[in-house]
This record gives sequence, structure tokens and C-alpha cells, in this order.
Amino acid sequence: MRNVVIAGYARSPFHLASKGALARVRPDDLAAQVVRGLIAKTGVEASDIEDIIVGCAFPEGEQGLNVARLIGLLADLPLSVGGMTVNRFCGSSMSAIHIAMGQIQIGAGEVFIAAGVESMSRVPMSGFNPLPNPTLAAKSAAYMGMGDTAENVATKYQITRADQEAFAVGSQQKAAAARASGKLVDEIVPIEAKAGTVSEDGTLRPDTSAEGLAGLKPAFSTEGSVTAGTASPLTDGASAVLVCSEDYARAHDLPILARIKSVAVSGCAPEIMGIGPVEASRKALSRGGIDGGQLDVVELNEAFASQAIACMKDLGLDPAKVNIDGGAIAIGHPLGATGARIVGKAASLLKREGGKYALATQCIGGGQGIATLLESVE
Amino acid sequence: MSDVSAIKKVCVIGAGVMGAGIAAQVANAGIPVLLLDIVRDPADRDAVAKGAVARMLKTDPAPFMSAAAAKLVETGNIEDHLGRIAECDWVVEAIIERIDLKQDLYAKIEAVRRPGTAISSNTSTIPLDHLIAGRSEEFARDFLITHFFNPPRYMRLIEIVTGPKSDPALVARVEAFVDRAMGKTIVRAKDTPGFIANRIGTFWIQSGLNAAFDLGVTVEEADAIAGKPMGVPKTGIFALVDLVGVDLMPNLQKSLTSTLAPDDPYQAIAKASPLIEKMIADGYTGRKGKGGFYRLNRDGGGKRKEAIDLATGAYREAITVQPPRADLATLVATNAYAWAVLGPTLAYAASLVPSAADDLVAIDEAMKLGYNWKWGPFELIDKIGAARLAALMTEKGVPVPPLIALAGDRSFYRVEGTKQQYLGLDGAYHDVAVPEGVIRFEDLKRGQQPLLKNGSAALWDIGDGVVALEFTGKMNALDGEVMKIIGKAIPLVQASYKALIVYNDGTNFSAGANLGLALFALNIAAWGEVEKLVAGGQQAYKALKYAPFPVVSAPFGMAIGGGCEILLNSDAIQAHAETYTGLVEVGVGLIPGWGGCGEMIERWMENPALPKGPMPAPSKVFEIVSTATVSKSAAQARDYGFLRPSDGITMNRDRLLADTKAKALSLVDGYQPPKPPEFRLPGESGRVGMKMAAESFHKRGLATDYDLVVSDALAGVLTGGPADLVDVVTEKDMLKLEREAFMLRVRDPRTLARIETMLETGKPLRN
Repeated sequence: MRNVVIAGYARSPFHLASKGALARVRPDDLAAQVVRGLIAKTGVEASDIEDIIVGCAFPEGEQGLNVARLIGLLADLPLSVGGMTVNRFCGSSMSAIHIAMGQIQIGAGEVFIAAGVESMSRVPMSGFNPLPNPTLAAKSAAYMGMGDTAENVATKYQITRADQEAFAVGSQQKAAAARASGKLVDEIVPIEAKAGTVSEDGTLRPDTSAEGLAGLKPAFSTEGSVTAGTASPLTDGASAVLVCSEDYARAHDLPILARIKSVAVSGCAPEIMGIGPVEASRKALSRGGIDGGQLDVVELNEAFASQAIACMKDLGLDPAKVNIDGGAIAIGHPLGATGARIVGKAASLLKREGGKYALATQCIGGGQGIATLLESVE
Repeated sequence: MSDVSAIKKVCVIGAGVMGAGIAAQVANAGIPVLLLDIVRDPADRDAVAKGAVARMLKTDPAPFMSAAAAKLVETGNIEDHLGRIAECDWVVEAIIERIDLKQDLYAKIEAVRRPGTAISSNTSTIPLDHLIAGRSEEFARDFLITHFFNPPRYMRLIEIVTGPKSDPALVARVEAFVDRAMGKTIVRAKDTPGFIANRIGTFWIQSGLNAAFDLGVTVEEADAIAGKPMGVPKTGIFALVDLVGVDLMPNLQKSLTSTLAPDDPYQAIAKASPLIEKMIADGYTGRKGKGGFYRLNRDGGGKRKEAIDLATGAYREAITVQPPRADLATLVATNAYAWAVLGPTLAYAASLVPSAADDLVAIDEAMKLGYNWKWGPFELIDKIGAARLAALMTEKGVPVPPLIALAGDRSFYRVEGTKQQYLGLDGAYHDVAVPEGVIRFEDLKRGQQPLLKNGSAALWDIGDGVVALEFTGKMNALDGEVMKIIGKAIPLVQASYKALIVYNDGTNFSAGANLGLALFALNIAAWGEVEKLVAGGQQAYKALKYAPFPVVSAPFGMAIGGGCEILLNSDAIQAHAETYTGLVEVGVGLIPGWGGCGEMIERWMENPALPKGPMPAPSKVFEIVSTATVSKSAAQARDYGFLRPSDGITMNRDRLLADTKAKALSLVDGYQPPKPPEFRLPGESGRVGMKMAAESFHKRGLATDYDLVVSDALAGVLTGGPADLVDVVTEKDMLKLEREAFMLRVRDPRTLARIETMLETGKPLRN
């Protein structure tokens, strides 16, 4: 089979939904600017791009009408480039990468843009017309709120509130340190908003302390342990990676970040959806023929501290290798954009930090996990 | 009257409680306002004014009527931005009460202002001629005193004082603005210390304080006597002082004793009180401090209401005192405290015509609107009888003021034909003047019989082909009798009139369905009667909606539950700015049953800002109704969708009737009743979605167990019950769903418990 590589990664700054600097930016405009930034950054020949595949968790309103095609047009891609929108909730843009890889491997193209976008300011979580199926709602937790699933995971895996808060403080500190040392600059494409250029994340809370977090009220249940401080915030953002065959990348001298070794998805019980990464990662590792101990870099999405800790424990991951520049609790979680962010980030970190293998994995509402195993091309 | 639109921008200088509050009320009128104060922080030169706006956004009751109003206030500072008053048509000075600072500011204002810009002071104590000393003729021409009361949004009174040089046309422009745009009732006062309301009010408070000390009356007894029996808010004297601030008393005293004539009766009663001085020193400055004459003791958990012992200064448990039931004349004749607080105060008030006010009507208006008295001093005298009061005064050694002597056996007010008249200083009666454009319901009703009437409602001919439906029950509650009048009114109006308005002069528009009556029916399990009441209300309201003539409702104060639903079923609403409306049925375990559900969905479906699809409108209504949301202003009622964009808001309560009548008449030509709406609703799926939202509230401790049941019943109606997404749901279907869901809830003992608690305590039961 043909080798497929990640040959570029870019994202917008991430900002808090509704009150942040991107609240008034349309998601299609936001993603188009990131796509344009990725093309400029990688120097890829735009007319070689087969398709742009965009992940979005709530593809309606300004994110509707096959937003991928609209993003391509807004980004002034050649008309020959196709466009497809993908929805796997939080795993949407990681799925976009997997689809691109598959297309390359069946000989259906050489170069793809896999992107993701979510304006949680402009399209509410669960959409404008949530219409759950009454029969399913009665027999399953398919529609359970994400906060409730995080509480379930905390209970089932005995993750204390203090553990969650220590984890959240760590995430904030790592993100703050990465930003302070300029490590986030390369991946961010400044966004032109009506009120001016936005070039830094607005989500980070570097002053977060364990004492401060301990004072917060539970966000989802009076008896619960999950607070706004140990959950990822509602976020606006977009991300994109360049996915192409290794042959193409080498022939065109593109900056290869990593090769995709294997991918997987796996379903789990909806009421503990946060544990989804465990099975998905095991499958991806097994398909890649390695074990967790061989990983040098891990990007494990922090939808909630409780589920991130539970997954790390279950997979036996070394905390020092997980989310080196901080995770979604600090940086934010624009649902559809997170998958491409963490794959792009894992690939970049593998290159920056050195090492052989990297894993990007995340949980998905409704009860799923998704994982991507990367290997160094050095 | 001058055109209100002459004032397009206002500047308020001084961002203290009064200045900021005045600026907020200008903004509430939809007029941009520049709020300036001194520079205190060199790093943020506008910090004082900015801080005032930030504080107001957190103040409850809110100075702003809407978020949009708050955005109309621009902040700045006097040093950098005074030049911008050239943009303004009216400048209100509301800085501290120091003549040197005010005069200094006026000199600066004069240097930069545009000639013809009105300048007014909000001073409560400094005479106008002192304020303009040293200023030019032009400045004096454009200057007046506009004395607002605290808080400016909620107190309806404004005292206006002009000088001999004030330009009448300019004063008329300012008056038009404060009346129509800011909604204040103008009382013209003479240029004397304390003007009218505070002059009498301070005298009255001081009399009440002194007498309690002298007569050994407890604070609770004093407030019970000086409260309700005299038509005074139940705060009486002592609780009122706690409310305005105990520390304010010595300042007020000092200011008045230094400006009033040495022989003014106030000078004799203005005594320093060692207890009050000690309270202030100890931080007992009233409700804003540790407490005042009353305090809430939180020691050892819980809170106990305590009152101060005036003799010892120690706090003790508060006692409950029932207000005396005797009529006012008997009370002042027999109760020493009642006499001591009221007798001299009435004498004092009567001595102020014409020195402080042109006529006695101005004095009554000032006390009613500035101190929330139910009756003004002269109305109180009429209750006692002027002759009887004069006799009492003589007996008690209080000199009888000439005006009371002049009245003799006569009353100060009388009705002559259909006109209300007052006694002038010339000994003759004169018509009570009504401001231009104001229609008073009581004047219209005088000398005519209602077209229809029963125990709960009446129908009046208010001229020009318009009839007014008036609620007359306790708290203007709604029952089957109201529906009967509506049923009879429709053919009557159709045959002989052009339009109908729903209007009354109560404290509140309507508290909704008569719960006491409903409880009675529930207790005897008279389900048929209850269902009849629901169906009858639906029928009556829809008959109003589809009547062949326009129906305009005029809410003010509370308009809740069924009182809100009659608004929703009207062709148009003309609301007073202070309208607190909402569908609050869930609070008593019920859902709106008189068409409120469908009307609200229809309103939200008309809102172009809402996304498409079956869910957004029902979701929005669910959010508002399941939480029993009540608007805190008419502007907010519009934000919630109770008012449509085409509905009107009247700032001045005095003008509500005239505006409502005009609105109704404006709809007469070519009037077509509305077409019944058809709904596309989300059905069972939407209901599940709403249930999940309610459950997340429940988990977070924001909804009770029974809230879940009631909100699910509401969700069932709002989503169209058994209807499928592709079905068309008619208004009739919605009414049936409402009735069915209502009847299910009404039979639930948990609903009964909520109703009982509401009737007993006035508060919702959280079961």
C-alpha cells in the first residue's frame, strides 16, 4: 500500500465561544483563511489538490450546505478541487484525514486537504433543531449530555475532583509555557476579523490554580465533580492538515511531518463516551504493530479531565509524553476542528521533539473513540 | 406642549447615584447620553463614570430597562470632554451639593456650551438665584432646576423650578422631554429650600422620630400607625429612614435648618438625637449598613428580625403590630402618636401654599409621587374634615394655617358636574388642571354609568367610539365574571362602537386568574367548573382576538399569567414602560391555559432572527415559560416576545390611557381581524429534546422534581402533542392541548400544594 504522510498543519487561534475574538467570524470564512494559510505555508500546488474534506460536528446554519465546498471557493482554490463535509462529532476532522488516506491508497488522488471547523458561537452545540428519536432516547444514553458522561467516567474510574483539577492546572501550565516560549506561533494562522487581526489563542487561563478551581461549583450535577475548570470550553476555531502520498511529498519537496502508520475507530457505551480513545488506540497500536510503551508523543484530546485521566490510566500512558504543549482544557475544543488539530500537532511534535511514534486520539459523543498512529520519516 | 424631539442628546455631569440614574432614564427613553464625572485615576480618566455604569448594570432594581439602553450611555470626564456638551440639547448637573463647585462648573459650561442648550441642576437644596450668581443673562435664560427623586427610573416625580429669567420656551422643551420621554410627572415648585416633597417629607419624618422618642412608642408601633392607616407605604417612618440611610438625617437637617427662615416651624423640631448619632458612629446607617432601627440578626445562623429599643439603644426581637383599624379622623383624635406625626405635618403642608407651591394640588402630587403616599396632605385633611382638623389643632395648640381656616366647613376637593375641583387661595374652587394630552380614567368615569358591570369587571364608554374594559376585582384578578363581560362586550362594541381597550387604574394591570376561586373549586373537586373556567377564558380571549374591531391592551405594573394572555390575544399592546409581564403558571404547577402557548409560538415564529426549522420557536417559548420569566420592563417584554415590534411603549404612566386610545383608533380604518395561525411543530421528538434540557437543570439543582413534570406538560403543548413534524397544527388544536394538559396538572396534589402555598405566603412552593 502507498505510504501517506502529513505534510503540513495549520490552525486558527482558538477563542471562547460567544465572548471571544472569533465570535463574529463566520465559520466558513474562518476555515477558508486557515486553508489558505496552510497552502501558503506548505507551498503545495493548489491545482494538484484532489479534494478538501472538512469535519464539522454541527454542519448547519453557516456551517451547512456542504461547507467544505464553500470553504474551497472562499479560499480561492482552483474550481477543480472537490469538497466534502464529514460528521463524526468531535472525531470529524480526524475522520477527514482517514478518508483522505484511504482515497490516496485506492489511487483516487495524491493530495488532500483535511480540515475541521466549528463556530460554537454561531451554531449551538446540538444544533438549531435538536429532535431526538423518542424510542432511542428511552432505551439508550445516545443523547446524554457530555458533562453527564464525564461525571459517569469520573465515578466509574474513580477519578477524584482533586485529580481532575491537578490535571487541568497542568494542561494550563503546559499551554502557557508553550505560548510563552513561542512554540505555538508556527501552527497559528492569524485570522482577519472585522475588529482586527486575531493571532493568539484567547482560551488560555495561565493563572489557573488548584485553589481557584477548588472553589468552582459543579457544572453539570449538584453532586458532581466536573466543573467548568476541568472541562474544555466551548470554542471557536478551525484547523487543517495537508495529507498526501509520500511519493508526492518527496517529489515536490513538501515538509513531511510524519507518516500515518495506522488508524482506527471503535464504539463504546454512550454514557461513558469519554473512554472511547482506549479501544480505538489499542486497535490502532495493534494495527501498527507496536505497543503503548513505544510511543514518544501522545495527543489525547481533553474533552474533560476525568476522561483524559481515565484513558491515560487504562492505556498505561506516560503523562510526560501526553499533550506536551497543553490540551483542550487550556487551548479549547472547537468540536469539528479538534481531530485535525491533534493529528497535526502530534506530527509536528514528533518532528520537534524527536522520536519514532506518535498517537493522536479522542473521544466522541454518542460513544466512540478514534485514533491515528503516526511514525517518524527520519 | 413643546415637541419632545427637540432634545436629541443629553449630557449628565456627576455620575453619583442620582446623576447616573438620570442618565440611565434618558437612555431608557432611547436618547443617547454623555455621562461625565471628575478625573480620579490618571490611568483611566473616565473611570468614575465608567464605574457608575458598571455598578448600575449590577443594581437591582435595575436602573436600565434594557441592554440596548445601557449602550446609549457614553462615559467621559469633565476635564477632557466638557466641550462635547456642544453636541447636547440639555445638560443636567448632578454633582455634589456644594455651591462653590456648582458655580465653578457652570462657569466652565458657559464657556463651551452652545447657546440655547438647556442647563439644569438636580440640586435638592440650593436656591436657583444662588446657583446662577455671576453667570450671564443668556445662561440665566437657559437655566432651571430639575429635581429628580431617587431612584430616577422608578420615582415618578420631578420638581421643576424656574427663575424669573428662565426662557419659557426652553423650559417647555425640557418639560416635554421629562414628561413624555422620561415619563416623569412634573410638579412646578417655587424657589424655596427643599422645594415641596422633601420639605414636607423631612418635617414629617422628623415629627415621627421625635414623637416616638417623646411618647415612648416602639418603632414597630410607630410604623404601624404612620403607615397603612395614613396611606403611607408600610415602611412608615423608621423603616423608611433605614431605607434611605440613617446617616442622611443629620445632613438633611443641617441643610434645611441653614436655609429655612429662622421662624420656620421645622427649626423648632429639628433636634439632634444622641441615639441616631451613636447608630451612625457604630455603622448602623440603615439597610446599606449593618442595619438601622431594624436589623436582621444572623448570629448563630438563620436570621431574626430585630428592632432597636429607642430608650436603651439595644436591639431586641421585633414585634408584630397590627395597624389600627380606626378611620383616620378618629385615629388622629384619639391616638397621641398619630396626631403627633400627622397633625403638625398637615399644618405645615397647608402653610406652604403659595410660598412653596402655587396651589394645594401641587403639594398633594408631590407627596404622592415623591413619597409614595396614597393620599396627599390635602386629601388626608379632607378625610379628617378641615373643620374637625382645625378644631383639633386649636385643642392641641397648633396654630391653624390660613388655608385650613379658609376652608372652614368645606373640603379642599370637590366634584362639580364631571370636573374635579380644588379650593384656591381666593376661596373659590378651580378645576384641577390636567396636562395637555393626558386623559384621566377617573375623569371619564365621573358622572356616567358603566355600559356593563359585574363584580369583576366593567365596561366604559371613553368617547370617540372607544370603550374600555376595566378589571375591578381584588388585584384585578380574572375569573368567569370577567369572561362574561367580555362575551357581552363584543356584540355591544360591534353594534355601536369602533374599538375596545383593556385598561384600568389599579396598582397592577392584573395578577392573572383568581387563584383563590380556583383553589375553592379544586378543594371540592369541581373539575367541571375548573374546565369551564379554562374553556371559557380561551373562548373569551379568542373572541376578543377575532372580534371585528381592534382590541388594544394597556399593561402597567404586573400583568402576569392570564393577565399576560389577554395582552397576547389583543391586536396590539400599548404598554407602560414599567410593565412586568410573563406567563408564570408553572410557579403554581400549571401551564398557560388561555391561549398563551400558541400566541407565544406565533410571536417567535414571526421573529426573523430565529433560525428556521420546527424547534427554535417552541424552544424559545419553553425557555421563557418553563422558568416563569417575568420581564422587568416593557422593553424587556419586547425582548421576550410578549410585545411585538409594532406594539407601543408609553414612558409616562399618566399618558397611557390617551396613548392606548389613540393606538386603538389608529387601527380602526380598514381593520381586519387576524387570520388564525397554523403551526408546524416538532412533535414528540421536540418534547424529548425539551425534557433533556429540563433534566440537565434538575441535575444542576435548578429545577425540582415537580418542575420536571410541569415543564414536560408544557413541552407537550409547545411541541404540538401527538402531531408529527409534517402535520399542520391549528390554533384550535393548540387550545385543546392546553386545556388537556392544564386539567391533568390541576388534578395533581403537588399543584394544589403550590397553589395553597402561593395564596398563603405569596411565594412559590419548590416541590
